[in-house]
Amino acid sequence: MTENLIETVDLHKSFTVNGKETLHVLKGVTEHIAKGEVVSIIGPSGGGKSTFLRCLNLLERPESGKIIFEGVEITGEKVDINLHRQKMGMVFQHFNVFPHLSVKKNITLAPVLLGKRSQAEADEQAEQLLSRVGLLEKKDEHPGRLSGGQKQRLAIVRALAMEPDVMLFDEPTSALDPEMVGEVLDVIKALVKSGMTSVIVTHEMGFAREVSDRILFMDGGVIAESGNPDDIMNRPQNPRTKEFLSKVLY
Amino acid sequence: MDFFSNIVKIMAKYWKVFLLQGVGYTLLLSAITVVCGAVLGLLLYLGRTARFKPLNWLCIAIVEVVRGTPMLLQLYIAYFLVPKILPFHVTEFGSVTVGLVINSGCYVSEIFRSGIQAIDKGQTEAARSLGLNGRQTMMRIILPQAIKNILPALGNEFITVVKETSLASTFFVGDLMTSYLKVKGNTYLTMECLTIVGVIYFVLTFILSKLLNAFERRLKAHD
Repeated sequence: MTENLIETVDLHKSFTVNGKETLHVLKGVTEHIAKGEVVSIIGPSGGGKSTFLRCLNLLERPESGKIIFEGVEITGEKVDINLHRQKMGMVFQHFNVFPHLSVKKNITLAPVLLGKRSQAEADEQAEQLLSRVGLLEKKDEHPGRLSGGQKQRLAIVRALAMEPDVMLFDEPTSALDPEMVGEVLDVIKALVKSGMTSVIVTHEMGFAREVSDRILFMDGGVIAESGNPDDIMNRPQNPRTKEFLSKVLY
Repeated sequence: MDFFSNIVKIMAKYWKVFLLQGVGYTLLLSAITVVCGAVLGLLLYLGRTARFKPLNWLCIAIVEVVRGTPMLLQLYIAYFLVPKILPFHVTEFGSVTVGLVINSGCYVSEIFRSGIQAIDKGQTEAARSLGLNGRQTMMRIILPQAIKNILPALGNEFITVVKETSLASTFFVGDLMTSYLKVKGNTYLTMECLTIVGVIYFVLTFILSKLLNAFERRLKAHD
């Protein structure tokens, strides 16, 4: 029995649209992510994938249900979520690199500001991380000079600089030009191989199949099906999974 | 041409009143107003976005009331009320300045609001996901970016304030418009004095807006 890193119990979340209509996005999601596990979440748009991921570090606060991270119920009262977020790296669809800071400063800001490292230590670490993703020669540039793929690689190492225990990827390649998808997926693959626990919301089916230990299919606010990549991709049980896969796989 | 020779004569005699005292006080008053107004504006902005709801309502109410009433009325209230409230002696200049600062602060808080709201929500999310708290996110991520939207708008506010300080002349605080009142009182040459003051105001705001444009171009060049 492996140790659970993240556990969610019956998460519910709804959004108010245009001030009146409520949209029930998560309808009771109970799931657990084991330490070292790589989990991909696939499913149609509006199925709750991103919302579920964003609940894990409380960028979205669920209305009810529990999230337990490293044994602490972070949805509880009087929890300093900032401390727990330091242990959960997140990568966004639109990169969200800091345009006013140099590439290196993007990486060192959080570790230095949060007292994890001295500036000198953080600089050294940043250069190591940048060379790992082939961006070392860009360290003094501003992100405005980087391509989309480079920005996303920067965003990934920025999150890694906090030495997180889990990485959350929210459609990391959806906003990229097709020719840049590969370079970002390669970085994620290398990271996953090094044993980083990861939760990846993605539309890249081939990638999900290749890197995941487990795939969750989300639709209509629930996890409709969950299993190993081979079973989900080749022998889906749920009719909605079948239908979705028949549309995205060819 | 009596008109122009009169202007020359007035300037020869009273240039110090216009250019030293008048322009000096107007610029001083404007600078104090904009600097203190910026601080007050930031506080009002923080107040209206704070987690403590009654503070939100209070700050929004202040901004709405100030923006919805005439500035001259506010200056009158400040002129009479400030010396009564404060325990130490306040000059007329001081009281009127308080009124100007409060008025400007409310407009500046709107400048802050729009400048900050223009920053993509993803920036906040990225900062918070790294473990930064709300204040660190504001100070290190949002404000440094918002400042590029805010500074040009603050410059425009400064130009507006230069013109608005003329209302302070109602209380004879020594600004450019007060110079007009003084010199006109001595010479009885109304149109000539108004023309002089008008030209000086125009030159002031024209130079300021050109400086501002140059400054904005430099900000943009930095991106």
